[in-house]
Amino acid sequence: MKHIKRILLVDDDVDLLEQTKMLLLSHGYEVETADSSEEGYKKFLEYKPDAALIDLMMEEHDSGFILSYKMRKDPHGKTMPIIMMTSATYITNYKFDVQTNEEKEWLKCDAVLNKPVVLEDLIQKLDSFTK
Amino acid sequence: MSPEDKPRVLVIDDEDSLRIGVKRLLELEGYDVDTAENGTEGIRKGSSGEYDLAVIDLKMPDIGGIDVLKHLREKKPNTVYFIATAFASYDTAVQATKMGADGYIPKPFTSEELYHHLENGYKKRKLIIEAERLRQDRERRLLEVHFERTRLNTIINSLADGVLVVNKDGQAVLYNPAALKYLQLDEINIEEYVINKLPPEISVIINQYLYTKNYNPNSYSAQVELKPEHQLFAEVTCSPVPHPDKSLAGVVTVIKDITEFKRLEHLKSQFVSMVAHELKAPIAATLGFINILTNEKLKVTDEQKLDFLNRSSSRLTGLLNMVNDLLDMSRLEMKTNVREIKELDVKEIIQDVINLFQFEIEKKKLKVDFIITEPVMKLNADQTEIQRLVTNLVSNAIKYNREEGKIDVNLACSSNYLVIKVKDSGIGLKEQEKNKLFSEFFRAKNEHTKNIHGTGLGLSLVKKIVDSYSGKIEVESEYGKGTEFSVHIPLKKR
Repeated sequence: MKHIKRILLVDDDVDLLEQTKMLLLSHGYEVETADSSEEGYKKFLEYKPDAALIDLMMEEHDSGFILSYKMRKDPHGKTMPIIMMTSATYITNYKFDVQTNEEKEWLKCDAVLNKPVVLEDLIQKLDSFTK
Repeated sequence: MSPEDKPRVLVIDDEDSLRIGVKRLLELEGYDVDTAENGTEGIRKGSSGEYDLAVIDLKMPDIGGIDVLKHLREKKPNTVYFIATAFASYDTAVQATKMGADGYIPKPFTSEELYHHLENGYKKRKLIIEAERLRQDRERRLLEVHFERTRLNTIINSLADGVLVVNKDGQAVLYNPAALKYLQLDEINIEEYVINKLPPEISVIINQYLYTKNYNPNSYSAQVELKPEHQLFAEVTCSPVPHPDKSLAGVVTVIKDITEFKRLEHLKSQFVSMVAHELKAPIAATLGFINILTNEKLKVTDEQKLDFLNRSSSRLTGLLNMVNDLLDMSRLEMKTNVREIKELDVKEIIQDVINLFQFEIEKKKLKVDFIITEPVMKLNADQTEIQRLVTNLVSNAIKYNREEGKIDVNLACSSNYLVIKVKDSGIGLKEQEKNKLFSEFFRAKNEHTKNIHGTGLGLSLVKKIVDSYSGKIEVESEYGKGTEFSVHIPLKKR
């Protein structure tokens, strides 16, 4: 798989956006940010990132899924790794993750990260896509 | 014979001696005797009075005995009639019997013969009366059953819950209009197989009863969405109807509308997930900043450090505000807070609140005007509540304002009300947003508000406080121009 260098980060919490960006920059990634799903889709088309990190709950509870669905419809987004960030597991006590290809296809993402994002987990997920 | 048992006899005869003779004879035997001296009088007396027996002379000058009999039989079918005649013949006897006479007494008769006839006649009369009583009894009972049934039907038809009863072949045997409504069926025909017309959640339960060999006395319930998108939710309970021998006769299904309950349940879970999310966001942000500040591998400038600390502090303040909002909300809702009603200087409260927000006001370069149109105004209320009311209104006016915007706070008195007005030059409200403005967790969502933090509780708190003082709150707003809130609180008369 292609080497991951350029990452698109979408989160409506500007503080978290900046923090995650800092973490990624410190690991040598290039980062583009967007603070809404609309902005996120625009940046995705312009920037054509190697991977996208999307917050699940933004304007609506499922904004992240809707955004990733739209990205998957685009030829570039079809194979681009998408990581969904969510704090939902803490609310519903339901840990969801994607393992099988069927789950990946259904959720339109390749991995799920719990928020707050732990740097090591994030790097490990990103590395796993390049192997 | 006891007096009430005294048989009443009417003797109709144009022959004076016979009439009087018979009367005397019968009275000796304990009969109550009435007489009529011709057919006309006989018909009159016989049809108006209540006689057990009547003895009618066949030949009378005005109306013949047969005609008298015909009349009376029609009017009083339960009286026992005798025809008496000196012209006894087989033909007249037959004719009299055909006309409905119960007996035939040939003249002249001995007293024994008369007694014998009347005694038998009276026995017959008693039997007739008893039969009549039984008939009426039965009729009354049938009427009662019919009435009971109608009443039961009326009750079942008036129920708000839907009721549907099927027999063990799955055919409908009873239903009410509410059942039709909930099941969205135009009609159900009695004895029609209905199981396949029912939603699967219901038919599954009913079929379990119908296809299980042993009688199961338990009831089963299910919540069924009868109309999509939360329009109609029902709790359906199916119970078996047993025969006296405890075999299955059928199944009764009761359908209860729980749409409103489901709506509240949905609101509650929305509330919980919303609160959890809103509480988590500032914690996650603060934790993130701390992680960065404590991570030795990251290069952070002193300037950045200070910025991160300030931002953490502001997120935590926001969190604290939200927790306070939530607590106030629950106190107001549960009415557990102890109010300290005292005379308040509202002017001072407003001024204090404005001073408290000085940092935010300056940061956004807002111009705030506080105008008092009536100098002395004392309000009897709880200080904390009024402070909270003003705080929420002013804080909204700041949050939803534009840079270098304007806020007008106005304190006035109109008749018996204290009026506080807070007007901003902010983003304003769309028409459809105004109605939802005071509902919990409502936040206007548009391109202007995405970076504004809030719980969606501020205005519903204001509304709750205003309501608790029997006041009112009004809103005037134009999208893109600004919003003005007017709070009216009754002043206590002295």
